[in-house]
Amino acid sequence: MSKKESKDLMIDGKRLDGRNPDELRSISIKANVIKNAMGSAYIEWGMNKIVSAVYGPSEALPKHTGDSEKATIKCRYTMAPFSSLEEHGRPGMNRRAVEISKVTSEVFSNIVLLEKFPGNEIDIYIEVLQGDGGTRAAGITCAAVALAMSGIPIRDIPFAVSVGKIGRTLVLDMNKIEDNYSDADVPMAINPRNGELTLLQMDGILTGEELSRAIEMARHAGETISRIQRNAIGEQYGQIDA
Amino acid sequence: MKKLIMPGDILLSRPIRIEHTIVENGKTYATVLGVFDDEKTSFIPLEGLWYPRPNETVIGIIEESKLNVYTVNLNAPYKGIIISKYARDPIVNGDVVEAYVKELDKTGTVVLTRPRVLHGGKVLYIKPAKIPRIIGSNNTMAMQLSAGTKSSVAVGMNGMIWLHGGDTDLATEAIFKITREAHISGLTDRIGKMLGASSAEAQPSPEAHREA
Repeated sequence: MSKKESKDLMIDGKRLDGRNPDELRSISIKANVIKNAMGSAYIEWGMNKIVSAVYGPSEALPKHTGDSEKATIKCRYTMAPFSSLEEHGRPGMNRRAVEISKVTSEVFSNIVLLEKFPGNEIDIYIEVLQGDGGTRAAGITCAAVALAMSGIPIRDIPFAVSVGKIGRTLVLDMNKIEDNYSDADVPMAINPRNGELTLLQMDGILTGEELSRAIEMARHAGETISRIQRNAIGEQYGQIDA
Repeated sequence: MKKLIMPGDILLSRPIRIEHTIVENGKTYATVLGVFDDEKTSFIPLEGLWYPRPNETVIGIIEESKLNVYTVNLNAPYKGIIISKYARDPIVNGDVVEAYVKELDKTGTVVLTRPRVLHGGKVLYIKPAKIPRIIGSNNTMAMQLSAGTKSSVAVGMNGMIWLHGGDTDLATEAIFKITREAHISGLTDRIGKMLGASSAEAQPSPEAHREA
């Protein structure tokens, strides 16, 4: 295959998959898919298929990983060996998975009321079954639903989405091929209640003005993502008249 | 009016002190999924963890005995202990016990008293937020379960339930039905029908017996 350039990713203002620059892929979430977990969820975000489960709070083990003043969030993000076209043959954590696990646990450390469970740990597992770009954002969005279903007290249900740059155009929610050849990629996690950013990473180069617009695009897309998250939770309680 | 509330949703635009909520900038927000009744200003959690309170009944499994203390697994973020001088019956590791919460000490350990060893039977784990529905108002649901299945039922507020004797499979089925439909009204009647119908199936009518 000849080397692609970012300009090949947009034709007549449309992206390769026919979306507009500010259009999300289709998202569907199902809550409570794993019986043994405290809370769980499954997300299909475009071609991404991710399952997430939350366990705990339980005693932090090994002991030195615990904090006597608050709970610790332990997150494990992994891609299944069959999840993508790239080499994922070796199971377990690689450098990328360690990084994503770390930033994800920081997102959730900001929203869980950790001080209620000193010395305990809360385990969040994110398993990517099929990956097509933006898996960390989809994983956080899915894990947020799992966390809400678990009954662990949280301040908000965060969502995550990435914004990228193709040529001079900012594009929302990049897929794998756009991710590989674009000029910039900025995954973000946001708490919808107060608009607080809990994750902001950046590959590539954006100007200050572009970054502000990217955050605004993510916030705007968050209205749709949050609605899908809330519908997934609400579906579990179809009729409320207790 | 009752409405479904999700974590982070605003309950009231003034600060009030209700369980499972936080106050930020003078407003009250929910921290768990639940149902809010704005007429009574009450918030009933649909999902949630167990927070120990004095005099609550809990069910636990003895994990370890050392010196004069038994350690109890309460399936919760808190570890339980029973001081052996409070134990009347002999207790060994693996025993299921029913006990009362004396206090939650500063280290996050639940001190238990008046332990009673529950022999035989089986233990179910359900979400602690569903336990009030298993008990029912004035203990009606638990009594109905016990009467309908002829089982001994001990319910711990920590989400563990002990069943022994009678039709424990039917009791288990009924308990899981309660957890699934806890938020839908008329539950006591539905469980009554379920237990009544099943016990009628199990015991053939006198006519059927005569025909046989």
